[in-house]
Amino acid sequence: MSSERSWRVSHAVLAVVAIAIVAIGLIFLFTRLWGPRPPHTTEPPLRAYSGSTGAIAPRSAAPADDGQWTMAAKNYASTRFAAANEINTGNVGKLQVAFTFSTGIAKGQEAAPLVVGGTMYIVTPFPNIVYALDLTRPGAPAKWSYRPKPLSAAQGVACCDVVNRGAAYADGRIFFNTLDNRTIALDANTGKEIWDTQLGSIEQGATMTMAPLVADGKVLVGNSGGEMGVRGWLVALDAGSGKVAWKAYTTGPDKDVLIGAGYHPFYAMDRGHDLGVSSWPPEAWKQGGGNVWGWISYDPERRLVYYGTGNPGPWNSEQRPGDNKFTTGVFARDIDTGAARWFYQTTPHDLWDHDDINEQILLDMPVAGRMRQVMVRPGRNGYVYVIDRGTGQVLSATPYGYVTAYKGVDLKTGRIISNPAMEPKEGRVIRGICPAAPGMKDWNPSAFSPLTGLVYIPHNNLCMDWGSFEANYIAGTPYVGADVKYYAGPGGNRGAVTAWDPVHARPVWEIKEDLPVWSGALTTGGGLMFYGTMDGWFKAVDQRSGKLLWQFKTGSGIIGQPISYRGPDEHQYVAILSGVGGWSGAVVSNDLDTRDATAAVGWGGVMADLPKKTTAGGTLYVFALPH
Amino acid sequence: MSSRCRTSLLVLAALALLAGCDREERRSRGNPLGEAALGEAALGGPRVSTLQPGVPIASPPDARAADFEENAYAVSQGQQLFRQMNCSGCHAHGGGGMGPALMDDRWRYGGTMEQIVASIDQGRPNGMPSWRGKLTPQQMWQLAAYVRSLSAQPRQDVLSGRAESESATEPPTLRSREPMVPSSAAGVKGTTQ
Amino acid sequence: MTRALRGLGLAALLGGCHGIQSMTEGAGFQGEQFSGLFTLFLAVTGFFYILVILGLIGGLVLRRRADRDEAGEKTARIGLVGWLGAVLVGLTGLTVASYVMDRNVAAASPARPPLEVQITGNQWWWDVTYKNGVPGQEVRTANELHLPVGVPVRLTLKTNDVIHSFWVPALGGKQDMIPGRTNALTVLPTRIGSYRGQCAEYCGAQHAHMALDVTIEPLAAFRKWWAAGLAPAAPPATPLAQAGYRFVMTQQCASCHNISGTPASGRFGPDLTHVASRRSIGAGTFPMTPGHLFAWVADPQGAKPGNHMPYIGLNADQLHAVVAYLEGLK
Repeated sequence: MSSERSWRVSHAVLAVVAIAIVAIGLIFLFTRLWGPRPPHTTEPPLRAYSGSTGAIAPRSAAPADDGQWTMAAKNYASTRFAAANEINTGNVGKLQVAFTFSTGIAKGQEAAPLVVGGTMYIVTPFPNIVYALDLTRPGAPAKWSYRPKPLSAAQGVACCDVVNRGAAYADGRIFFNTLDNRTIALDANTGKEIWDTQLGSIEQGATMTMAPLVADGKVLVGNSGGEMGVRGWLVALDAGSGKVAWKAYTTGPDKDVLIGAGYHPFYAMDRGHDLGVSSWPPEAWKQGGGNVWGWISYDPERRLVYYGTGNPGPWNSEQRPGDNKFTTGVFARDIDTGAARWFYQTTPHDLWDHDDINEQILLDMPVAGRMRQVMVRPGRNGYVYVIDRGTGQVLSATPYGYVTAYKGVDLKTGRIISNPAMEPKEGRVIRGICPAAPGMKDWNPSAFSPLTGLVYIPHNNLCMDWGSFEANYIAGTPYVGADVKYYAGPGGNRGAVTAWDPVHARPVWEIKEDLPVWSGALTTGGGLMFYGTMDGWFKAVDQRSGKLLWQFKTGSGIIGQPISYRGPDEHQYVAILSGVGGWSGAVVSNDLDTRDATAAVGWGGVMADLPKKTTAGGTLYVFALPH
Repeated sequence: MSSRCRTSLLVLAALALLAGCDREERRSRGNPLGEAALGEAALGGPRVSTLQPGVPIASPPDARAADFEENAYAVSQGQQLFRQMNCSGCHAHGGGGMGPALMDDRWRYGGTMEQIVASIDQGRPNGMPSWRGKLTPQQMWQLAAYVRSLSAQPRQDVLSGRAESESATEPPTLRSREPMVPSSAAGVKGTTQ
Repeated sequence: MTRALRGLGLAALLGGCHGIQSMTEGAGFQGEQFSGLFTLFLAVTGFFYILVILGLIGGLVLRRRADRDEAGEKTARIGLVGWLGAVLVGLTGLTVASYVMDRNVAAASPARPPLEVQITGNQWWWDVTYKNGVPGQEVRTANELHLPVGVPVRLTLKTNDVIHSFWVPALGGKQDMIPGRTNALTVLPTRIGSYRGQCAEYCGAQHAHMALDVTIEPLAAFRKWWAAGLAPAAPPATPLAQAGYRFVMTQQCASCHNISGTPASGRFGPDLTHVASRRSIGAGTFPMTPGHLFAWVADPQGAKPGNHMPYIGLNADQLHAVVAYLEGLK
């Protein structure tokens, strides 16, 4: 009898132990499945923001608005602000289509239209046709068009759709880049070609997609190709003749990078001799990337151009130990000679393709009590940087979204601290890296409003998985070495628009968007902020509260840059190119297969629903109030 | 002899016969006297257009097509080359990117083995580079076999079941074969030149 | 007859004890420690083996005697206790020796050696990169390991495809190279000379032809070798070599191989910048001689079937030109 009892007791004990083990295991499993928990964020309520932060754009770089739009960023300070207030928060609900224009190209439309006097200029994606529209005539018919006939094969080396971010106007000429590495100057009235300068070769994998900046008689252009092992540079062409005035490489010896006696970086990590060679394995800087495919700002008082450099090549960081100067950083250069004045490396030894080519908005604003002359850069790596534009000192670096890849920026040394748990390792898959490779925000530019003193940032909310492998370099083919796939970050929304207070380094309001917001931002004197979504909605929101005041569904997703101008009839117009594509929309514009999560370098999975939400297109929409 | 003995001898004989199957025959050298990528090289390779005026002439398939497509070694060598020669940089794991998707049923320039080898060898106008002289003909045929496997065209036992990299898509062994639909280059968006 | 047999057997035994891939002739501190421990184990276990054999013989012989008596029982018990004691002593001694040897090896592995060599195993060759902490001074080569005598070196072991295993018997023990993982091994070379390593984990059809040429040299010579390794490839000197250069740059070679200072920057295959100064071709498949270089370039698949260098099908002129160029890459 007792043995039977002890048999029962021992089995009962065993059962209890087994249940306890299973329960502990299940608890462990479920807590692990939840993954990293994001910090609890309180969304600021949608109440109106009153007053202003005190930030202003310097007059020299942001002169009084003449109603035109002569460069993609509106002015040298890159404010993208149109002062007109005919369209305002009270009447924007009545905004309607004034006219449309079909570009005939159903690829990603990233350009900003230009308006000079009574003519509008748009540059299409490949084959980079320039149209001049006569705004004085009803329906704005095309005055002339120019076909540069770029090489068809250039389409095969353009990493992120065959886009073009627009032209620039100066002194009666239109300047723009073609996909096959030419910068062309046209007569703005007749459309005749004045000069055509070949700057690179598609056989090396190089293309050009950026919008030039013209300042002081120089046309500043840079190349693309960070995914193709192309060595990046910024070139200044003489606006009259098209000849190269100076060329500043991003990697290589000091004589190539134009680093000389006038170079005074603020931080010790950026000081040294021939850093563009010594911070790379031998010869690796020749395929080092650091392309200048984004935005350039100019300070006419200091005569300095500011721009950021792209990612180092290849993406697989284990193949390029060292800081990889001067990629993923910000340069200040003298506009006459190109000599570097200072450089700050935002992300030394970049691990996650966090290019630094985003826009820098030049502002004068109070920092710790006194007025400073700064630039505000919403970075790809997730931080909004406020940098003194005279010295290159980082005054603040604050995350504007969910970041796991970095722990913060050490303001004493200037060095960003990466999270070792997220560092890529060959042969392994690292998960949960935020922000993803397209960054907290990619190239699409933010805008500043002097009415509120806020910076309006259209951006992403994406995380990624990353698997490195050794990349093989063959000129003219991709030089990447990583399989990546993206997915929505915490909250499930893939995009957002944030109104950011640069003075106090905090968000004021945020609009969550289902899809990544890949369009540029526009602010107007009527208190409005305009942006577009990737499924085609063009929206106007109140600058102070973020409240949606008007929206219009265009024919295709919007990834372009909205502008506002004063037409020949003295009325205010808002223009945007509609046509999905670009890196995030390549799933639609290139007709890709979303069963592959790594399609278009990471977008196949996260954009699997985009083909259902929009088709490709290429149409200009211009809006105005009824009159 | 006893029936048991006979059965086992028959089984052994059957096994010995099966062992002669050459699915896994590995031809490491290819044609030892060197070869052109395409049998009709002198005439410019297989036709690019599906349109022939008058009564169409049927061209015989290249003898190598079945050889490479039905060979698991060729498919897995193609898989390695696909990554190492940076094909996956433009075509991802079949989903496409800079280049078109290879795992679906749309073939701009044809999806037979000969046509795929021709596309690799000659390049194509909208951005496919020409690999003649940069890859050997045998490598091109191996790549073509792998490209076909992305849409699950070869037999299931030949397909590669492992991605050898971060998992991006369901392995072709689990997918069903995509239909072969030839489409012409004119149907491609954006080629206005 | 038996003497001759004995001599033959001894020679066969000792044949494995000499030569460039010998485990007993240590050229590194770790290797010497290993072989010392091995000898101790051999001696102790050999001694006990002899005792066991003697006991077995004794048992067989004594079985024919009369039944055991009381005194015999006692002797047996004493013998058993004595035997157990001896075994315990022996085992303890071996354990202590093993522990001491392990601690010695660990002590000789400083936390941050000044020299790091990253060895990546591929099917079927070794990608070797020498690092001294300055990225701009890295030297990348293949299938050869140069080490300075007396300097501890940290070997970081990775692989690009399957599991390989790094083993240089003269230097020390084996260490696996596992995909997705970086293993480390510290060696301290102590004797100058040429040695040979071998992949020690079956890794495919050509696992047998995956050898590593190890050269241990004085520090000054090592520094000179490093400086020469940093230099870009020698430009082609003769018209024939120039024709070979043109072929290598424009044809299949540049898709896979890297030759510093030229447009060829592939990483799939071994670095060829200083290929002519290596001891062997194809990771030990052939010695580096002009004839073998011809054979390799003409038909790598014949030399090493299944390896990833394809048969290209060069004609005679192209072959002469390419080999002329490669021979100049010292």
